[in-house]
Amino acid sequence: MTDLLQLLFAGLSQGAVYALVAIGFVAIFTVSGVINLAQGEFAALAGLVAISAVSSGLPLLAAVVLAVVSVALVAVIMERLVIFPVKRMTTLVSLILTLGVSTGLKALMLLVYGPNAEGLTPLTPGGFSVAGVSIRYQELWILLIAGIVSLAVYWFYERTLAGKSLRACAEQPVAARLVGISLTKASLISFLIAGTVGAIAGVLASPIFFTSWESGLTLGLKGFVAATLGGLISVRGAVLGGLLLGVLETLTAGYISTGLRDAVAFLLLIIVLVARPAGIFGRSAEARV
Amino acid sequence: MGRRTATTRTAALLAAMTLSLAACAESDDGGGGGGGGSADETGPIKIGAVLDITGAGASLGVPERQALELLAGQLEEEGGIDGREVELIIEDNQSTEDGAAKAMNKLVNEDEVDIVLGASRTGPSLAMRPIAESTETPMISLAANQAIVEDSEWVFKTAQNDRVVIERMIDYMAEQGWSTIGLARDASGFGEGVAEMFDEIGAEKGISVVATEKFAPDATDFTAQMVNLRDAGADVNVIWGIPPAAGLAQRAYDQLGIETPVMQSHGIGNQVFLDTAGDAAEGMVAPLGRLVVAEQLPEDDPQKEIITSFIDDYTAEYGAGPSTFSGHAYDAWQLAVDALSEEGTDPQAIRDHLESITDFTGISGVFTMTPEDHAGLSKEALALVTVENGQWQLVPDQGD
Repeated sequence: MTDLLQLLFAGLSQGAVYALVAIGFVAIFTVSGVINLAQGEFAALAGLVAISAVSSGLPLLAAVVLAVVSVALVAVIMERLVIFPVKRMTTLVSLILTLGVSTGLKALMLLVYGPNAEGLTPLTPGGFSVAGVSIRYQELWILLIAGIVSLAVYWFYERTLAGKSLRACAEQPVAARLVGISLTKASLISFLIAGTVGAIAGVLASPIFFTSWESGLTLGLKGFVAATLGGLISVRGAVLGGLLLGVLETLTAGYISTGLRDAVAFLLLIIVLVARPAGIFGRSAEARV
Repeated sequence: MGRRTATTRTAALLAAMTLSLAACAESDDGGGGGGGGSADETGPIKIGAVLDITGAGASLGVPERQALELLAGQLEEEGGIDGREVELIIEDNQSTEDGAAKAMNKLVNEDEVDIVLGASRTGPSLAMRPIAESTETPMISLAANQAIVEDSEWVFKTAQNDRVVIERMIDYMAEQGWSTIGLARDASGFGEGVAEMFDEIGAEKGISVVATEKFAPDATDFTAQMVNLRDAGADVNVIWGIPPAAGLAQRAYDQLGIETPVMQSHGIGNQVFLDTAGDAAEGMVAPLGRLVVAEQLPEDDPQKEIITSFIDDYTAEYGAGPSTFSGHAYDAWQLAVDALSEEGTDPQAIRDHLESITDFTGISGVFTMTPEDHAGLSKEALALVTVENGQWQLVPDQGD
């Protein structure tokens, strides 16, 4: 029982990181139909910026803020340079473009920060133990902040006029423009959100899971799978998908085989895409082509 | 025009291949052999290196590259080997097997190097081995698994064999009165066959592995493996991997509050391990090369002088001390240079020279190669080391 709880808890904190990355995918896709493969790189870059800021003497909190702001800026610049100029954006074109950006960012990180993996100082070092389950304070921070961020993004897209008008851009682009919503501004805002959320995922995960120039790849893939579980257009689905994926991975590693750990995500992806392309949490009426 | 260039190039390639075949065929004469362009005795001597500079093995490959570049620079200042310039060509295999094979092919076929050093880890080294054997190129791996040199003709290695490491660990376990081992091992080549070897060597002393867990070399979460180790309830747990994974595993172990003593392999001899494991490393015991405890070695230790001067040079150049991995690179380089300066660039002669190396004092130990043993180190090459206050510390009781 203790083991199960320990594995569940580890899975949840890992899953919360996936969830944040997944929200980034949803934030962009739901507005412009763009799948941003550089989403994982946002997280890696934020981790690396924060680590190097701390090692050059900045206080932890300032380093974290600096990392989040600069990655959000990178996301916005990326949108202006790569996404905005394309006249007829399709999901396929976006995959190719963002794959290019992802490769470029990785090369840049390798060049600037070198090949070694490092970990950021935790927000609160140490941990404690409850009923045989050991818990790190950083894991609580991950769960707490991931919870707040997901609620905020969910509230923005589902409950505010600005958020709803962003979503309208994807569902009815012509009508949206007719009622005065700027498509280019909407896309820019969606990248800003995705960059911020991805960066938060990166700085939260770094103390436990470490960051290197290439850690964005796995993180991005897992986040994408989590987002797909939620049908790619639902923030709630992305969060549940991320948590589910994290827990399934840890349970598989604990009870079946650690070698199968990374296979879980892709098995899940195939099953969902075949059986329920709209996502396991989505209603089929929400299905987009 | 384009087609003509292509034809010319193909012709040139064919010519080069014929030439190098011819060179190989006559390389037995001992004097002017060698592959293709280096067949003459006047051009630069070429030493190739394939290292895990990026990817999971980066914490090994980067210090190895630094050591090689330092040594190449020193050799150049001394005027090369017998007045011939020495060119060092380093390739990154990205910690992958196919990357290693590709880099090896490039070094052998395009650059026509006289000897190849590397790779940093077992998997990539195993991928390079068949190329070294089939092209008859001397190769010195920097990795651990004994499989790299088992029955090899052209391949040698400088890292301590996992067999001698495990012998050392088993001796210590027997001394401590432990009889069951819980093992969490690297899932790649480095950890392959380790559980079986513990069982085989431990059998005599009644020590055996009761649980085996695996982790990917780039894994970041170790909760599942450590929970299973905790449940196995062995007398001692062994984490067999390289940093940062080995350090993160150590941390997860500590964080779960497991009290059972931990031993690690010789794969952890660098600062990255100390940084990633942090406080969790305190009290862990690992058999490591003497480099990490150089200052604590007795004055009469045969390796002390050579280790200390390497540490001084390396620190002066890079501002931080070397790791045991840079030591493996140092040894490989010195062995290669020794063979090249004694025998010239004839591959057969280089190979024979390496095989007859006797009492060659290096960083990782004192090497004595034989036709049966292309690794050349015994368990005396390892010191039992623990961590105290974030520093490597010789274990007072060496378990002999």
